[in-house]
Amino acid sequence: MNKMTKLFVLCALTLSVNVLVSINVSATTFTFTAIPDADESQLRTRFEKVALYLEKKLGVEVKYVPVKSYSAAVTAFKNNQVQLAWFGGLSGVQARRLVPGSKAIAQGYEDQFFKSYFIAHYSTGLAMSENFPDITQKTFTFGSKGSTSGRLMPQYYIEQHLKEKPQQAFKRVGFSGDHSRTIAQVQAGAYQVGAVNYTVWESALAAGKIDTNKVKVIWETPVYPDYQWTIRADVDAKFGKHFADKVQTALLNMDSPELLKSFPRSSFVKAENKDFQPVEDVAKQIGLID
Amino acid sequence: MITIDNLNLHYDKTAGYNTDIKETSTQVIFDLSLTINEGEKVAIIGPSGAGKSSLLHHLYQELQGNAALCSQRQGLVDNLSIYHNIFMGALARHHWLFNLVNLIRPFKKELSNVSSLCQQLELDQPLAKKVDKLSGGQRQRVALARALYQQQNIFIGDEPFSALDPLMASRLLETVLKRHKTVIMVMHDRELAMSAFDRVIALDKGHLVLDSQQHSVDHQQITALYQTSAVA
Amino acid sequence: MSQLQQVKNTHYPLGYWQKVTLSILLIALIILPFADIEIVNFDPFLELTRMVDGLMTPDFFATEYLFQAIIQTVNFAILGVCLGLILGTPLALIYQHPIISGCCAFLRAIHEIFWALLFLQIFGLSPLTGILAITIPFAATFARVFHDIINQSSDSPLESIDSRADIISRFTYGKIAQVMPQLMAYTRYRFECALRSSAVLGFIGMPTLGFYMETAFRQGHYSEGAALLIIFIALIGTIRYWCPPKLLGVYLVIACVTLIDIPNVDSSLLVRFISQDILPSALANASRLAEVQWSSLYTWFSTLISEQAIPGALATITLALLALAVSHIVTLNAHAMASKHLWPTPLTWLGQLILLIGRSVPEYILAFIFLMLLGPSMLPAVIALAIHNGCVIAYLTVKQSNSIAPQQMQMSKLNQFNYHIMPSIYPNMMALMFYRFEIIVRETAVFGILGIMTLGFYIDSNFSEIRYSNALVLITCTALLNVAIDILSRRLLKLPKTSQTSC
Repeated sequence: MNKMTKLFVLCALTLSVNVLVSINVSATTFTFTAIPDADESQLRTRFEKVALYLEKKLGVEVKYVPVKSYSAAVTAFKNNQVQLAWFGGLSGVQARRLVPGSKAIAQGYEDQFFKSYFIAHYSTGLAMSENFPDITQKTFTFGSKGSTSGRLMPQYYIEQHLKEKPQQAFKRVGFSGDHSRTIAQVQAGAYQVGAVNYTVWESALAAGKIDTNKVKVIWETPVYPDYQWTIRADVDAKFGKHFADKVQTALLNMDSPELLKSFPRSSFVKAENKDFQPVEDVAKQIGLID
Repeated sequence: MITIDNLNLHYDKTAGYNTDIKETSTQVIFDLSLTINEGEKVAIIGPSGAGKSSLLHHLYQELQGNAALCSQRQGLVDNLSIYHNIFMGALARHHWLFNLVNLIRPFKKELSNVSSLCQQLELDQPLAKKVDKLSGGQRQRVALARALYQQQNIFIGDEPFSALDPLMASRLLETVLKRHKTVIMVMHDRELAMSAFDRVIALDKGHLVLDSQQHSVDHQQITALYQTSAVA
Repeated sequence: MSQLQQVKNTHYPLGYWQKVTLSILLIALIILPFADIEIVNFDPFLELTRMVDGLMTPDFFATEYLFQAIIQTVNFAILGVCLGLILGTPLALIYQHPIISGCCAFLRAIHEIFWALLFLQIFGLSPLTGILAITIPFAATFARVFHDIINQSSDSPLESIDSRADIISRFTYGKIAQVMPQLMAYTRYRFECALRSSAVLGFIGMPTLGFYMETAFRQGHYSEGAALLIIFIALIGTIRYWCPPKLLGVYLVIACVTLIDIPNVDSSLLVRFISQDILPSALANASRLAEVQWSSLYTWFSTLISEQAIPGALATITLALLALAVSHIVTLNAHAMASKHLWPTPLTWLGQLILLIGRSVPEYILAFIFLMLLGPSMLPAVIALAIHNGCVIAYLTVKQSNSIAPQQMQMSKLNQFNYHIMPSIYPNMMALMFYRFEIIVRETAVFGILGIMTLGFYIDSNFSEIRYSNALVLITCTALLNVAIDILSRRLLKLPKTSQTSC
C-alpha cells in the first residue's frame, strides 16, 4: 500500500503539472479547427502547415485541433477551445447562434455557389435531367447528419418537390456519414439514390474511383453558400486590436496551392454572416434548428 | 466466568445458529444449564450430531472478545501464506494500517514470532507457502497456530487435532493447555479428553448427559453413550 | 446438467437450460418478421475487392502520429481502469444498498460513447473526456462484479478472527484476501475491455486508434484501416506480455506523463451546460418558473417520446434480441472451434486467434464491413454484435472448458465433448450470455452512429443537431431501458450464483 500511495501522489503531481503547463499554453495560443469535405487522412500533418502559415502572418502561436464531426467542431467553438473554425454552411450557422458576436470572415471561392448532386445506381434507370427526378419510394442515403451539402440542402429540395419528409417519401433513409461513403454505397447498390457534395464527386471521378456505368449524377441542386471561416467575437480582446481583421487578411491572402489543397479550395474570398441567411432559413424550415 | 441457563438452540439452514424459533429450523440444544469457571479445562464429548459445535459456538459468542476460537471449519484463507493466516490472530493488537502494510510486506518481528510458534507446533513448512498447498494435518496446525497467536486467556477449540496422529495431538494439547488459563474444547478422542482435562461434559441429542464435576467419570457410562447413539 | 437427468419413464421433460435456449431462439423467430433484415445489395464486389486488397496490403505508414495514437489508447484504458477501481471498489462494499445498486445500474447502462459525448460539452476534446467516459461505467461495473465476487467468499475466516480487531483489518484479511485472484483476473479482463472502449472513443474524436480507424474505413482507405486493425488486435492479444500486473504501476506513471495536455477546465462551461444547453427551449427561455410554457414543454416531451424514444427503444430491443439468438449460435461454434477437447493443440491456437480477432475488432468496423456486403438494414448490426459477443463468451468459456479434465472413459472426442464438456459448461455459458445481453443492449448504441435506427441513432442525431436536451432525455431512456431489462431478466431467470459469471 505504501508503494501505491507514492504512485498516487506522483500521478496527482504530474497531472497537476500538466494542467498548469497547459493553462499557460492555452492563454496565448490561437487555436483553430477544420474538417475538409473530402479527404480526411493526414489531417494534422496537412493543417499544421496551415497553422504555421497563420503563425507567421499573425505573430501568435497557432495550433490546429483535429475533430471528427461538425458537431464536435461546433462544441469546441462554443467552448472557446477553438477560436477559428472552417465550418460547413449549417455548422457555421449553428456555431454563430451559440456564440453571439462571432462572425463569418471568409469563404472558399467555390462556396459562393456550392451545389449538391443527386446520384443514382444504374438499376433505377434514372438519368440526368433538369427536373427533379422521380425518386419516391426508392432507398436514399444522405451524407453526414450535420452536413450542408450532404443533408440540409438535399433534404430541403426533397421536401420542396415531394411535399413529404424523407422518411415518408422514401422506402429507406440512411446517413452514410461521409460523401465518399455515399458514393461507394450507391455504387454498390446498397442505396438506390444518394446526395453528395459536388466537389467530392468531381474529384473522385477525376481520381478514377467511380464507375459511371454503375452510378451517375441524375440531378443537381440550385446553388447555395457553404463552407466558411468563422471567428469568435472575443479574439480582439484576447489577442489584440483588429486581430479578427488580421486573421481575415491572412486567410484571403493564402495563395499557396499546397495549403489550399487541404480544404480543397482554389482561394478564399470575403464573407459575412448575412451571406448564410439562406442556409439558416432552410435549416429552420426543415426543422434542423429551432 | 460464564453461566448458561436453560439454553435452547435452533439451527436454521438459512441463517445459521439461532435462539429464535422458526418453522424451518430444528432444535439442537434442549434446556441446557452449565457454568464454567475461570481456570477450568473443559472437554466436551459426545457422538456426532449431539450439538457440541452448536454449544461451542454459543459459548464463543457469549465470550465475545475474550476467547480465541479454533473452529472445525478452520476458516483458513487459501490465497494467503502460512504466515499471513497465522498473523490473522494478531489483527486486533495492531492498527489497521500496520495490518495492511504487513499484508504486502511482512514485518521482521512478527515473522520471527510466527516462526517460533510454528516450531512449537511442529510445522516445518516455509512461512511464505500458500495454505492451499498444505496437507490436512498441516492446515489444522495453521488454524491452531492462528488461535494460539491471539494470545487470549480462553481457548475454544472444536476438534482441533482430529487430523493429527494421537502422539502429536497429545503434545499439542499440552501446549494449548499450558498457554491458556481456561480451555473449552470439543474432543473426538475420548481417552485423551478424560486424561488431559479436569472436567468432561458429554452431550447426547442436545441434552447434557454427563458432567464430571458432579459425577465421577464413569468410563462405561461414556462408552454406552456412544453405543446407544450409534444404534439409534 | 439437467439434460443428463436419470430417465424414470419414457416421458422426458425438457431441462431448464433447454427451455431457456429454446425460448431465446423462439423469441428471435417471432420477432424476425418485424425486424428490418432485408438484403439489398446489387454489386458489393467492387468495394469488397477493395477491402480484401486493403487487408492484403496493410499500410503501417499511412497513419500520422500513429505511435501517439497507440500510447493514448493505452493511456485512456489504464487511467480509466485505475480511476474506475478507485471509485468502484468502495462502492462494491456498499453495493447491497438498493440506492447504490440502482445508481450503478443506471450509470453502467449508458454507453461510453454517450458519456464521452456529454463530457465533450464540458471538457471539450480533453483527455479528461475520454478518461471519465471510461471511468464512470467501469466503476459501476466493478462495483457490481466485485460485490458479487466478495459475496461468494466464505465467512468462516471472519469467525476465527478476534472480534476486537478493526473492521478494515478483518475485512481485508478475512474476505478480500480470499478472492484476490478473482478480483485481479477480472480487473485484467476489464483492462482488455477498456482498451476496446478507448479505441471506440476515437470514433467520436478522442485521439486514440479509433479516430484514424474510423476515418480510414469511412473514407475507403482500407490499407490504412487494415494496418490499424492489425495493430489493435496485436495490442489486445499481447496484453499479458506488455502489461504484467507488476508493471501496472510503471505504466500508470508513464500514462500520467505522456498524457496529452489537459486544457484548463472552464467551470463556466459546466454551469452553462447545466443551466442552458441541456434545458429544452421552453425552459431555457423562461427566466422565472411562472413564465414556463408548460404546454409547449409537454408537446416537446411527448413528441420526443413518441417519435424518437419509443421507435428507438423498439428497434433497440429487436436488434438486441436477434443479436442474442445469433450470439448463442456463434458462441457454440466458436467455443467448439477453440476447444482443446476437440482439436489437436496447434489447431486450437488457430481457433484462439479467430476468437481474438472476433472479440477485438470493434463492432462498428464489423458492422461497417457487413453493411457493404449486405446493404443497409439491421442485419449487419445483428451479425456484428453476434460475432463480437459470441467470441467474447466463447473466449471466456474456452478458458473454463480447457481446465476440465477429460473423463477416463473410452469414447470419441466428439462424444466426450458433447456428453462431458458441454453439460459442464453450458449453465455458465448461458449465464454469461445473459450478463452479456445487458452489454448487447448498450452496444446497439454504437450502431446508431452507423445509421441503424436504434436509440443510439436518435441520440447521435440530437447531438449533431446541437439539441442536448433531447439527447439527454433519450440517454436517460436508454439507461432506464437497460435497468428494466436487467431487473426483468434477473426475475425471469434463476442464474447460478456461484459460478464465475462476470464479463
